[in-house]
Amino acid sequence: CFLFFRTFARRGVCLSKPHYNALCRHVAPMGSTAKEEMDKFWSKNTRLNRPVSPHVTIYKWSVPMMMSITHRGTGIALSGAISAFAVAALVLPGNYSYYLDLIHSLSVGPYLIGLAKFGIAFPLSYHTYNGIRHLCWDIGKGFKIPDVYRTGYIVLGLSIITSLALVVM
Amino acid sequence: MAAIVRLSSMCRRGVKPLFYQSPLLSRPVAALQRDHEQQHLPTARIHSSQALHGSDAKAASRHWTAERVLSVVLLAMGPVAYFSPGPVVDYSLAAALTLHGHWGLGQVLTDYVHGETKVKIASAGLFVLSTVTFAGLCYFNYNDVGICKAVALLWSK
Repeated sequence: CFLFFRTFARRGVCLSKPHYNALCRHVAPMGSTAKEEMDKFWSKNTRLNRPVSPHVTIYKWSVPMMMSITHRGTGIALSGAISAFAVAALVLPGNYSYYLDLIHSLSVGPYLIGLAKFGIAFPLSYHTYNGIRHLCWDIGKGFKIPDVYRTGYIVLGLSIITSLALVVM
Repeated sequence: MAAIVRLSSMCRRGVKPLFYQSPLLSRPVAALQRDHEQQHLPTARIHSSQALHGSDAKAASRHWTAERVLSVVLLAMGPVAYFSPGPVVDYSLAAALTLHGHWGLGQVLTDYVHGETKVKIASAGLFVLSTVTFAGLCYFNYNDVGICKAVALLWSK
C-alpha cells in the first residue's frame, strides 16, 4: 500500500509553460480515466494468464514497508474482531456477563490473561498511533525519509508502552 | 481548444511528495494543442477527467476527505468513551467503528481485488458484513450492557 502510493508520488504533476520545456512540449488528453486504464490492464493480463512479477518476495523489506502492512493487518484484525463480536452477540444464547463468567471460571492464570490483554491492546494502540501518523501525512507533514523513520519508531515505542500500561491497568 | 497545460514531472524534475500542497494540483486540465506541430514533437499523454461529469468527478475526493474526518471523530471518541460512558457514546461508537472498518476494508478490496465481477461480489460481501456488524453492535447496546461497559468489564478481570 505504501509502495503503491510512492509509485504515484513519482507521477506528481507540476505546472510548466510549453515553450520552456524542450522534452515534453505538448500534452494530449487520453479520453479515459485512470480507473478505466487500470481495469484494462488487469483484464488484459488476467485474460492472457500472465503471472505477476515478483515484488514483495524479492524487494528488500524496510521499516516503513513493514509498518505500513502492519497498519493494514491490525486494521483488518480489529475489524474482524468487532464483526465476530457482533455476530456472536446476535447468534449466541445468554448474555455478556454469562460468557465473561465462563472465561473467569476457566482460571487460565494471570500470565495468559496478561498475554491476551496485550494481544488486544497492541493492535489497537499500534493502529491508533500509526493512524495519527497517517493523518499527519494527509496534511502534508512528515514526508522526508528521516522523519518517516523517526515518527515510525515513535509510533512503535508508544504502542508498546501504551499496551503494557493497558495490560497492568 | 486552448487551455492551461500541465505536464508530468518526468519531463523535468524528480519526485514530488504525493500530497504536495498546491492549488494547481487539484485536478488535471485539458492540453494546449498546436495540431500542426503534434506530429513532430514528443507528446505526453495525460488523463483527463472529462469522462467523469459533475458530481462523479468529486465523489472520490469527497470520500477521501470523509474517511479522514471519520478517523478524527473516532479518535476523539476514545477519551469521551472513557470519561463519560453511556448509551449515546455506545451507539455513536457502534456507528463510527463500523463505518471506519467498512471504508478501510473497502480500500483493501480496491487494492487487491480486480475484475468487474470479483469486485462486485466482494463489495456485496463487505456490505453484508458491515450491515450485520452494525446490527449486532446495536443489538448488544440495546439488549446487553453496551460497548463501554463491556470493555470495562472485560478489562477488570
